[in-house]
Amino acid sequence: MSTATGLTAPTHPAPAVDGLDELLRSMADDEFVIGFSDSEWTGIAPQLEEDIAMSSLAQDELGHAQALFQMLATVTGTGDADSLAYDREPADYRHARLLDHGRGDWAMTIARRYLYETADSVRLAALMSASWSPLAELVGKLVREERYHLMHVDLWLDRLATTNGEPRDRLISALETLGPDCGTVFTPLPGEPALLEARILRRPMAELERDWRAGVAPTLERLGLPALPATRDPTRGRTDHGEPFTWLHGEFTAVRRSDPGATW
Amino acid sequence: MTARILGPMASSGASPRAPEGPSGALEPWEVFRQEKDGDPMRHGGSVMAPDAELAMHYARELFGRRQESVRLWIVRRADVVDLHDPDLLQPPLDRSFKKPGGYVMRDKLAAARSAAGQEKPKARAT
Amino acid sequence: MTDPLALDPVLAPGDRSTDAVPSTLAPTRAHDEAYDAWFERFEAHLAAGGTVESTDSMPDEYRTAVLRFVEMHANSELMGVLPERDWIMRAPTLRRKLALTAKIQDEVGHAQLLYRVAEDLGKPREAMFDDLLAGKTKFHNVFHYPTRSWADVGMIAWLVDAAAIVAQQALRNSSYAPYARTMRKICWEESVHIMHGRDVVVTMVTGSPAQRAAIQEALDRWWGPLMQMHGPRSPREKDKDLRWRIKAKTSEELRQEFLTIYVPRIRELGLVIPDPELRFDEDAGEWRYTEPDWDELRTVVTNHGPMSEERLEFRRLARSETAWVRETILAAPQAA
Repeated sequence: MSTATGLTAPTHPAPAVDGLDELLRSMADDEFVIGFSDSEWTGIAPQLEEDIAMSSLAQDELGHAQALFQMLATVTGTGDADSLAYDREPADYRHARLLDHGRGDWAMTIARRYLYETADSVRLAALMSASWSPLAELVGKLVREERYHLMHVDLWLDRLATTNGEPRDRLISALETLGPDCGTVFTPLPGEPALLEARILRRPMAELERDWRAGVAPTLERLGLPALPATRDPTRGRTDHGEPFTWLHGEFTAVRRSDPGATW
Repeated sequence: MTARILGPMASSGASPRAPEGPSGALEPWEVFRQEKDGDPMRHGGSVMAPDAELAMHYARELFGRRQESVRLWIVRRADVVDLHDPDLLQPPLDRSFKKPGGYVMRDKLAAARSAAGQEKPKARAT
Repeated sequence: MTDPLALDPVLAPGDRSTDAVPSTLAPTRAHDEAYDAWFERFEAHLAAGGTVESTDSMPDEYRTAVLRFVEMHANSELMGVLPERDWIMRAPTLRRKLALTAKIQDEVGHAQLLYRVAEDLGKPREAMFDDLLAGKTKFHNVFHYPTRSWADVGMIAWLVDAAAIVAQQALRNSSYAPYARTMRKICWEESVHIMHGRDVVVTMVTGSPAQRAAIQEALDRWWGPLMQMHGPRSPREKDKDLRWRIKAKTSEELRQEFLTIYVPRIRELGLVIPDPELRFDEDAGEWRYTEPDWDELRTVVTNHGPMSEERLEFRRLARSETAWVRETILAAPQAA
């Protein structure tokens, strides 16, 4: 069966591993929410050329969310990508709290994208050799698309950090706002021991977070940016979403809920 | 500004009005794209960017976001030499001896065959 | 696309499109004989099907006419982003969300391509934004209206884009070659938008009674602006954009073409076009319709439409909030 993302439905039956659904949902929700924030720039970004670039990033993230939700539907045997993505209450979303700050200005967008993309690439690297080949195969594709995302965000982080005055000040302020939530992409999952046991996730989240921090520290230091603080309330890193997400949820469910059961 | 040799309209003696350059440090970069391996590089359009790095990013978006290109060449417009002069490129005297169409020998061949008592060779069966 | 000259008959002299001409480009040259002869040869070149590149010298009258035409087209693409953008966060499925984001991205891309063509004619992009946001230049009538429902998203992508593509297809052989090339790329992209819009409309028409009603209601609201979109009839012989082959068709020719293609496609869905006079006159070989409300067109394109000021203000705000980023792009990086 061919799916909307062009991926073949997994021929290997999904392993009955506790936590696989949590893992897929957390990744899908991350991509879904950051994709929405990025898409808020469509049509109003700082300049036309940059507008098009940000829209492409948004579409990439949403496409990744779609592929991950499809895989989740296969694993759980319930629903489809759309029902999994849209038909939940706000408290049931499991994206990282890092993504719960609203779109913000361009500096906030770049700071969030930098922290998320670098963390995501560490997480993806730990899933490249997942023992379940459909996941490993999908991750391989995601990694190829994320290359451009890293190029784009590196370029902007560098330019904002090295342009004194407003650009640098705004970037520092955004990093300070996001700081306490910075490591939430690596929030330990309840089913993590089973995922490690089944060799789906190859290394614990805590270890991945250490790697990620070690990876970004030299860049922040080179650019004279503040070091990242410890994550606040780390066990609740994928819950307690707050007001900006309540607004976002109200937006993306508005049409769908206006006529429940309708086909769109 | 594009280096150019004055075009046909300018030869009238009226002074052409050159477009004014953009303000600030943004400048146009011309983008050439190849649709698939082996195809020629074709002009796609241009982007405004302050440097090669951003020009590359923007060219990718404007001319590659639908997977419609396998390669892009991105060239600062100021580095393009524009030659568009009929005296240099379309000289008025005959150049037919340089082109295959300049050699028309159907009638002469027919006469030669006739003199030699030969039939016109059949097109090779395929 | 509304052709700026086609609007002139409905506009007061002060509102006509010549306002868009930057003073530095206004024709000031004394008409000496050499110039007249050159101008005549230039016109003969166009009449014979010749094209003009941005690096060719061209009479200021021609440069100004092309600039005015392309600038309004670019403005329309840029402002046309906003009505649909209101629904970008509310698209009801992942695929619709992706398609709508990609479509709006394309509109931004079209604005970029067209502003590039205009910039090369001598008017900087920021000056064009200044004039647009100050109300000195115009944009498409259809983008001055609110989008009230998801059905509007389908209606715009299908019929507004269809009316636009009819005009844009006729521009693919424009005498101004950079514009013609840009139109070929744009038409190709617009054809995807029409498919997206038609798919939204067909899905809703075959959906719940509420969805079907929403589509009919959207059609009722959009039909008037669609009929006004190409502008009032104007005499072919007086139109120098036609003579110079900047464009190929009159507003009435474009409207007739739009009706010929789309009236059957609308009716095949069981939708009712809200014009009791609409019919094809076999003898005359053309569509008859209720005269569009040209007063409404005049009011709307002079920025007195229902959403004109709100949309312009939104753009001004977005532009001022991101000014510091554009300065960053231009700034030479400093050592950290």
